[in-house]
Amino acid sequence: MKEYIIWLVFFLSTAVFAQNPDPDRILSKVDQNISARNRVSEAEMVIHGRHADRTVKSISWIKGTETAFTEYLAPPREKGTKMLKQKDNLWTYFPRTDRTVLIAGHLLHQSVMGSDLSYSDLMEDPKLQNLYTAEILGEETLINRRCWILELVATKKEISYYKRKIWVDKERFIVLKENRYALSGRLIKTTDVKKIENIDGRWVPVKVVFKDQLKSGKGTEFNLISIKFNDNIPDYVFTKANLKK
Amino acid sequence: MILFLFKGLIRDPSRSLLPLLTVIAGVMLTVVMYSWIQGTETDMISSNANFNTGHVKVMSRAYAEEAALIPNDLALLNVGQLLNTLKDKYPQMVWTPRIRFRGILDIPDKNGETKYQGPAAGLAVDLLSSENIETNILNLHKALVRGRLPRSKDEILVGDQFARDLNLEVGQKATLISSTMYGSQTTENYIVAGTIRFGVAAMDRGAIIIDITGIQPVLDMSDACGEILGFYSDFIYRDKQLTLLKNEFNHRFSDPEDEFSPIMLSLRDQMGLAQTLKMVDYFSTILISIFVLVMSIVLWNAGLMGSLRRYGEIGVRLAIGEDKGHLYRSMIIESVLIGSIGSIIGTAIGVAFAYYLQVHGIDISAMLKNASMLISNVVRAKVTPMSYFIGFLPGLMATILGTSISGIGIYKRQTSELFKEMEG
Amino acid sequence: MILKLAFRNLIGRGLRTFLNATVLSLAFVAIIMIQGLLVGMNQQIADAVTRTEYGGGQLWHEKYDPYDMFSLEDAHGTIPTQLEESRQQGLISPILIVQGSIYPQGRMRPALIKGIEPSQNIVSIPSHFLAESNAVLPIMIGNRMAKDSGLEIGDVLTIQWRDINGRIDARDATVVQIMNTTVPTVDNGQIWMALENLQELTDMSNQATLIIKNANYTIPENISGWVFRDLDFLLKDVNEMIKAKSVSSGLFYVILIFMAMLAIYDTQVLSIFHRRKEMGTLMAMGLTRLKLILLFTLEGALNGVMAVILAYVYGFPLFLFLSQKGINIPSNADNYGFAIGEKLFPVYTAALVIGTTVLVLVITTIVSFIPTRRIALLKPTDALRGRMT
Repeated sequence: MKEYIIWLVFFLSTAVFAQNPDPDRILSKVDQNISARNRVSEAEMVIHGRHADRTVKSISWIKGTETAFTEYLAPPREKGTKMLKQKDNLWTYFPRTDRTVLIAGHLLHQSVMGSDLSYSDLMEDPKLQNLYTAEILGEETLINRRCWILELVATKKEISYYKRKIWVDKERFIVLKENRYALSGRLIKTTDVKKIENIDGRWVPVKVVFKDQLKSGKGTEFNLISIKFNDNIPDYVFTKANLKK
Repeated sequence: MILFLFKGLIRDPSRSLLPLLTVIAGVMLTVVMYSWIQGTETDMISSNANFNTGHVKVMSRAYAEEAALIPNDLALLNVGQLLNTLKDKYPQMVWTPRIRFRGILDIPDKNGETKYQGPAAGLAVDLLSSENIETNILNLHKALVRGRLPRSKDEILVGDQFARDLNLEVGQKATLISSTMYGSQTTENYIVAGTIRFGVAAMDRGAIIIDITGIQPVLDMSDACGEILGFYSDFIYRDKQLTLLKNEFNHRFSDPEDEFSPIMLSLRDQMGLAQTLKMVDYFSTILISIFVLVMSIVLWNAGLMGSLRRYGEIGVRLAIGEDKGHLYRSMIIESVLIGSIGSIIGTAIGVAFAYYLQVHGIDISAMLKNASMLISNVVRAKVTPMSYFIGFLPGLMATILGTSISGIGIYKRQTSELFKEMEG
Repeated sequence: MILKLAFRNLIGRGLRTFLNATVLSLAFVAIIMIQGLLVGMNQQIADAVTRTEYGGGQLWHEKYDPYDMFSLEDAHGTIPTQLEESRQQGLISPILIVQGSIYPQGRMRPALIKGIEPSQNIVSIPSHFLAESNAVLPIMIGNRMAKDSGLEIGDVLTIQWRDINGRIDARDATVVQIMNTTVPTVDNGQIWMALENLQELTDMSNQATLIIKNANYTIPENISGWVFRDLDFLLKDVNEMIKAKSVSSGLFYVILIFMAMLAIYDTQVLSIFHRRKEMGTLMAMGLTRLKLILLFTLEGALNGVMAVILAYVYGFPLFLFLSQKGINIPSNADNYGFAIGEKLFPVYTAALVIGTTVLVLVITTIVSFIPTRRIALLKPTDALRGRMT
């Protein structure tokens, strides 16, 4: 009987939750889905230029939310370039010149490799719960998935994007679309997930298009080639010395 | 009669030599002044021409539309072939390729990490080839503050104040971080060979100059460049001819349907310089008008004085029965002869001198406190077709006018009075 | 006595003297007129920059560096309270500068966003257009910026910036005016909007990057956090360039002096040549050669003096008139893009006028002397017969 009551409570609460979801909980589950102790991912970024398109390949080691190390693998011009993010600092190593350069201040607003992404976009805390309060606006279907539409409002003045709108898969708690807005409400950047996969029990976006909405152009595509969660990553990976190796 | 009068003038230098010399001097000054004022037009725009616009500039059509953004992704390609074509079709000009770029100049500490950093505006020009004209165009020898000019493609010149702001010394390494024409991030290490004074604070605080071969591989711009500047080989600006040249080039080589085909712009098409040229033209006209007017009056007066002094001679000639009209006409013809010969000789000397000033100019750098890249230190005259004619206005017309007015006295005076003036 | 004689000789020749003096005075006036125009033309550039951008000087936020755009993020502060009254009186006007981006035709380009008080009249930027418009967010740009970005009056432009906290904001703004200006530093790569609007949009209430002042106003010293930049500092580059141009126009001066010399030389030579008998008579009556030389030299010099007096009589009012009223540039002056209006003001400095006066007098004397040296060789007997020895 006791067991029956527990299951009943569970199902009821799930049903209740499904009817009246708590937006903060949704956000929390979204953050949980993407967070891991660490991950190693290999990805491609396709940047559209006026002459031709460029595909930049990279491999990244990410620890928590504040530390990341990325090495660029292709094309030849980019190969060997490395980036180290530690909290609010971002260093880039250029093998051609054997130089480690600090990207700080105004430079953080520059575009990464000519893409629609800026360095400050890379630097921001990926955990939305730390930055925003949420409200559910409604529901919509995207790539055949039912989604909640959440409106997020920044909790601090220092956060770059005052408002965001995210479409969260109701079952998988993965963001399938994101709009970032300026203070005036003007749409600045969009992220559209074109394809997701289940890897290691997590739903992971494997094809994403990132677009600066103020500029004309096709935006920047991200294709995830592989990802491993909670791997064994030695600490020395996240050091400046590793930039030069 | 003309031959008779001409012989008379030659045989009596006291009557002709001084007026002739006066006319020659006046005409010569007029021609030199006019040519000098024309030369100031070049002077007024020379810093723009040398640093930015050239007399003409060739870019891709797409680059030209957004030139202010320095869109190297829209640069000219196959530049070697294009340069050969330009040299072949327009041999009266000299052509030089340039690449402008933006980036960060990063100064490393002993561990190779950032010590100082500053935004840099770069200009890559031909500094090292044997045919390079940029060293003179950009006045680099005079503008050098510390160090020397680059001798290899991994050496750069930095704005002197920029170098001071970055605590950068000559011989030190600096890393340029920039983007290739395809958008990739790129870096290169350079050695600071020297520092220069640009003469404009914005550039003294943030500009670098590098040899074009030192930047092309870094920006993935082999056989490419942002712009090709063209100058007349004597560096004198010729507005009308340049417009014709530009139109001819564009008609031949520029395709409105192909945004990467080359287009040529003349100096007046760029940077609002058409307005500057209009203003210079307008004020040049005022200046030369004042000068020609006053010089005409000076020579008119000389002609008048010369004729007034001949009243004694005129008295004698009337007394021996020469017709007044004939006498008057003979004086006019004499003044025509003196005016023409004086104007011709004066123009010849004036043009020769102006041409010398056009070719060699006057180096005023000794008079400038701080020589810099942008302030031209050689001022030149410019001989135009008008230079050959402008002297005739005061030289011929004024002289004749002076004589014709004083000659009227012949009709009004009595012979005896004219005689008396011979005594005076 | 020689002086008296020289003077009487000149007066005695009546019209001829008057003519010679007039011609020389014209040359003198022309020299000053032309030099004044050249100096005025060069001065135009400094004036345009001063009137358009610098006013009577600027007070900069201590972190402001116009040549380091990275400094802008921190280069703003609350407008000092001690300047508030002066601001109400229109003696100073604050300007706020923020780094932003604009998106004409979907292309991103960096731009400085500058906020200016629409009511200010310290600089000639036509800021009043920003108050006269009904647009939600009116902006103004320079003609070169308009050309470079392909913008026209009435166009709507997206602007993006970060506010004081680092938050991204973006709005659509309407181009309500295109300034016709020759001064690139208020034109290239920037847009202008009403100061209050920019302060509100960036959450920088009552803040400024720099404060321009009226020429007649003196900013109190030692305002903490702010540094005063006077016109000498601000116009350093322009003044250097003007100096260089002055050297070039100095060469005109030389040619003009030659013209004056010509005016006097030929009359002097003619005079000597045609007064041989008079010279012979004077020598026969006991005048020494030296005194004779002195006589003729003085006559020439006095010609110069008369010319200068004459020049001052009609030239001085003319110079005064021109330097105050200016010279009209033709009516399609808009094409010239003059920021200061459609006039050129020649500049006649005391140094120019007095210097030229002294120079003309000295040269006239020297040039008058040169032909008189022939007199030194003159035999009175030849002279009386009308011959030069």
